[in-house]
Amino acid sequence: MIEVSNLRKEYDGVVAVDGISFKVEKGEIFALLGPNGAGKTTTIKSILGLINYEGEIKIEGKEARSNEKEIKRKLGYLPEKVAFYDNLTAIQTLQFFAELKGLKNVDFMALLKEVGLEKDAERKVGGYSKGMLQRLGFAQCIMGSPSLLILDEPTTGLDAVGAYELREKIKRLNEEGVTILLSSHILSEVQELSHRVAIMNKGKIVAIDTVENLSKKFEVEPRLRVELQRPSDYILKLVKGIKSVKDVKADGNVLEILCPPSAKLSIINTIEEAGGKILDFKTVEPTLEEIFIKVVKENE
Amino acid sequence: MNEIVAIAKKEFMDNWRNKWVIAVSSIFVILTLVISYFGSGFGSGGVGWKDLDVTIAGMMTLVSILIPIIGLMLGYAAIVGEREKGSLELLLSYPVKREEVIAGKFIGLGAVMAMANFIGFGIAGIIIGINVKDVAWGDYFIFILSSILLGLVFISIALFFSSIFKKRSTAMGGAIFLWFLFEMIWDIVLAGILMAQYGIGKLSDPDFVAPSYYYIISLMNPVKAYSTLAALNISSISSNLGNLPSFVNTPFVLAILFAWMIVMLAGGYLIFKRKDL
Repeated sequence: MIEVSNLRKEYDGVVAVDGISFKVEKGEIFALLGPNGAGKTTTIKSILGLINYEGEIKIEGKEARSNEKEIKRKLGYLPEKVAFYDNLTAIQTLQFFAELKGLKNVDFMALLKEVGLEKDAERKVGGYSKGMLQRLGFAQCIMGSPSLLILDEPTTGLDAVGAYELREKIKRLNEEGVTILLSSHILSEVQELSHRVAIMNKGKIVAIDTVENLSKKFEVEPRLRVELQRPSDYILKLVKGIKSVKDVKADGNVLEILCPPSAKLSIINTIEEAGGKILDFKTVEPTLEEIFIKVVKENE
Repeated sequence: MNEIVAIAKKEFMDNWRNKWVIAVSSIFVILTLVISYFGSGFGSGGVGWKDLDVTIAGMMTLVSILIPIIGLMLGYAAIVGEREKGSLELLLSYPVKREEVIAGKFIGLGAVMAMANFIGFGIAGIIIGINVKDVAWGDYFIFILSSILLGLVFISIALFFSSIFKKRSTAMGGAIFLWFLFEMIWDIVLAGILMAQYGIGKLSDPDFVAPSYYYIISLMNPVKAYSTLAALNISSISSNLGNLPSFVNTPFVLAILFAWMIVMLAGGYLIFKRKDL
């Protein structure tokens, strides 16, 4: 769907993106992840042709620069900082953008209803809150059912409920076959949504894969989380003494044990044999945050 | 083409909604009526309605100052304003090329200028026409068209600055500088050059004819080109022309005004397309 080859961009002698290459497959949610200044937005702006760049970008097999119009008819973009025309109402805003895309017979009210703005359809956008602008931004983005969505920090400015609803919409659109490229600094969001992740740092892609594969690659292991009725130093010492256990952290009556999956059973047995009463236990998969921190630190 | 029309329509409607068209039209109506009624009173004649050709003579200087200001104000923020705000990024993520943005803005703002001129001068013309006999409608129509053309030149200049600068304030600074250059500095510098070359004595000779380069450089100033275009085609102000070389004719002056538009819009585009958002 998107093929980026040797993308490079310099701003006044400072390299923002340093010869990166990656592919976004059709039908997947692909996330660009990285600290501020890593080059995520520059990469997105290059794909959209908003900046000049070196290298090659292909979308659906077509060179992006020479097929700009054709490509842009099929994509929707939600910028990090959504800005509209203050003097237009939400309906007028969507009408203008629909006209630019050559869309006809668009049900604007249905679109606004989809993002919860139907009651504010006739209000001028200049009076909208940040969250409302973000919702309207998403409405314009999905207008005309594009096959590719590019979302730069999509939940910025939304409250918890709004962010949840947006994530659900992103998942639903993806299930309907829409390819999604997103950038976010909210790691849990990326972990929840994306099939594959590219971790960027200082203009380079330092890791690219599924979260699962990345955790294996960077040896970030799952944790066993055990809730005890009455934890004791004795139990803690015993668990720490198990050969395959790498680390144990006690937080109140909860033990977080870093260990390979094969050690789980012996840990449970050890606790029970020592008289500990287990209230609950579960395996906590490695978070993207752990992988991210490890990868970024390794590349500094 | 649809994209250009959509942008032009939005630009026009923005200025319609924010009452720009009405404000500018009202200025033109008031100005024209005041000059027609009182204009001669300031000069040799008495107070009362004067024919349109007399009104045009009184309007020329004011219009040649006012229209450039309106053109620059309409256009200076058209692109840089969107860039500063962030809406240009979203606009260009749509199937719209940068040249289409410039063309759409130019057409939309040009339509605002044209409509304000037609409404303002039109209403004033009708009021004057009701009150006087033998109205010179032809001359008045040429005056309106010339004024619109001057307005379009200054809109294209404003769009040039709006395309090349990153900040609204810089674009406005550039536009103000150019207005001063054309309205105040250009003629003074040229007169200075002539004076240095020929001396005051020769310049005050009524039969003196300036060299061709003087006319060419002088007419490169779009304000001068506008007043010359009007004087060449409106009988009541043709006496303003003085001794002109034969190459200074309507096609030549029109070519200069259109060249300004093309150079400014094309130059703005060439720089704008290399800009990163």
